[in-house]
Amino acid sequence: MENRDAFSSYHPAVTFLFFGIVFLFSCICAHPVCQLISLFAAMYYYIHLKGKKAVGFLFKGMLPLLVFPAIINPLFSHAGVTVLRYLPSGNPLTAESIFYGVQAGIMLAGVLIWFACFSQTVTADKFVYLFGRIVPAFSLLLSMTLRFIPRFRQQFDTVKEGQSALGLHTTGGHIFRRIKNAVACFSVVVTWSLENAIDVSDSMKSRGYGTGRRTAYSIYTFTERDKTALWLLLLGGAVLFFNLLSGNLFWRWYPSVSGLLIEPITIFTQLVFLLLCFMPIIIDKREEIFWKRLKSKI
Amino acid sequence: MKRILLVWLSLCLLLCACKLPNTKPAKLEKSIAVPKDGIVRAETLQKLKDDNGVTTFYGKDGDVRYEWVVFGSKINKPRDYNLKVKIQSQGDSEITFSIADDFDFAPTLSLYLTEKWDWGTVVVTTPDGTPTTATLTADKNSIINVTVGKAGTYTVALQKETEAPPEKTDEIAPEPTAPTKTQTDSKPEKKKPAGSTSSTGKREYSDATATGQDKYHTDPVPQGKPLPVDKPTVSAPSDSTSDTKTESQCTISIECSSILNHLGDLNEEKLDVLPEDGIILEPTVVTLVEGESVYDLLRRICDDFGIHMEASFTPMYNSYYIEGIGNIYEFDCGSGSGWMYRVNGWYPNYGCSRYALQNGDVIEFRYTCDIGNDIGGGVVSE
Repeated sequence: MENRDAFSSYHPAVTFLFFGIVFLFSCICAHPVCQLISLFAAMYYYIHLKGKKAVGFLFKGMLPLLVFPAIINPLFSHAGVTVLRYLPSGNPLTAESIFYGVQAGIMLAGVLIWFACFSQTVTADKFVYLFGRIVPAFSLLLSMTLRFIPRFRQQFDTVKEGQSALGLHTTGGHIFRRIKNAVACFSVVVTWSLENAIDVSDSMKSRGYGTGRRTAYSIYTFTERDKTALWLLLLGGAVLFFNLLSGNLFWRWYPSVSGLLIEPITIFTQLVFLLLCFMPIIIDKREEIFWKRLKSKI
Repeated sequence: MKRILLVWLSLCLLLCACKLPNTKPAKLEKSIAVPKDGIVRAETLQKLKDDNGVTTFYGKDGDVRYEWVVFGSKINKPRDYNLKVKIQSQGDSEITFSIADDFDFAPTLSLYLTEKWDWGTVVVTTPDGTPTTATLTADKNSIINVTVGKAGTYTVALQKETEAPPEKTDEIAPEPTAPTKTQTDSKPEKKKPAGSTSSTGKREYSDATATGQDKYHTDPVPQGKPLPVDKPTVSAPSDSTSDTKTESQCTISIECSSILNHLGDLNEEKLDVLPEDGIILEPTVVTLVEGESVYDLLRRICDDFGIHMEASFTPMYNSYYIEGIGNIYEFDCGSGSGWMYRVNGWYPNYGCSRYALQNGDVIEFRYTCDIGNDIGGGVVSE
């Protein structure tokens, strides 16, 4: 699939650093405003990457993820000064535990959507390019595993079709019958995958894998725009983590909700985070405007 | 354009690095010595108020060390205060001291005595007769925590225990009028090494002849103390007791004043929920529901008074364990901290949902910072 996103065409190091900063910051920072920024930026970028059909996935897949912790957390966590009522178990239901659950849900959904964006932007070849030389074994394993998943699915479909031709359908009939047929298919594919793994290793060996240094074909060049983006990312990341560690983004949920909200430094840090999160979109929009301007000149 | 952006961002970074000291000014020290003349300046208290923190002011008169615990949030109008304390007399069950200033807020004064008092309830006589609270804790010797207000002479005295708990057996509320019904509800009686218990609220007392532990790992109960009662089910009193029900009453109190003597160990985030005098619930007389255990009562009272309380059931000890009350949890004030309960001056060696209550029982929930040693519930002290 062709990726028309401008940020994806940046050097893998830049895109990887971007996601590294966003992941880390979204996971560590408990400030609800930062979490909301992260979630909305992730959703916006994901829709930007995948188009309108992503909206359905976001709402169907992520809404339960948002609601689930908000329901589960108060059942297990009972700290908090605002006791709403006592649960039948004898422990209190507190407003703070609900708030914390909501925040955890936002964090979970945000980071997961960022991961979805990550897999769209930093593809397996970029990953291997980045880590092929540092951790060769790991990146080979990773790229093989990533390749294996679609192959497995493909093979499963083939086997399923073959079995259907024999009359062992997985689409119709009694539920137990269908499960039985599906399990049979699965067993076939697992056997195939084991055999395939031996084939692959034999093939690699006969092509001389392990006899010398491994090279990789890559067409990534570190250009001037990558340099600028890298500096901006490093600077933004430094501002964020400096402020996070020095407590300018202080937020606490238990036992009572308190935190910094309208301090100038807090707002400034959040603005930096907002800009950083929206960086891929800003870059893409900028490119688009640039392109339109060029076209209008003709 | 990019260069300009870069320069601008680096300037911002520098700016926030420079701004840091202003946004987070150094906080007031956690403990400050009371000056020679006893006057603590208004500026200090203003700063404490701004910090919204807590600071102790310590001093000494004779052998007695004293410590003022002042919460910034409680100071109304900061002014110069004289924090000098004069100890006038000290005995093994009574201490008289005087303070020089009137307070428009209620700081807690901790007196570190040179003697070890017996464990019991302490009562305070204030200069103007207003009731105030006092608690007795300990480190090596006894510590008295008193909430003070007006200037003048205060006397703190140990209240002598007047009645022995076993005598109360005669005062037990009469059995429900339909004992046959209760009997059928209850499971067959379980034999326990230390004696047997009936299934209703009536409890039996240990003669301390038993040696081993019971099946819930409870050591033998000391002589004259009530045996644990294991309820077969959660028994709501049945309809049988409609007219013969006598009003049984208990006194319950919840306090964590020992934290005031161990502020250094306290989890900083819990400072907001710590009551300034350490008392979460003053001794309150409550009506007892037939067959209630200490845990049942605590749970009901916390619900009534809107106090936060979390507990978890431990099957091994067949009892609820109180994890936290008022958002002050176990381990919040050091590794030896947690909640303990005392009934009629005794810390039972079994869980609070196995203690069946009777008319007139005095229940205290106290927070320890030192596995019970600071509140008279240590294993060695028994």
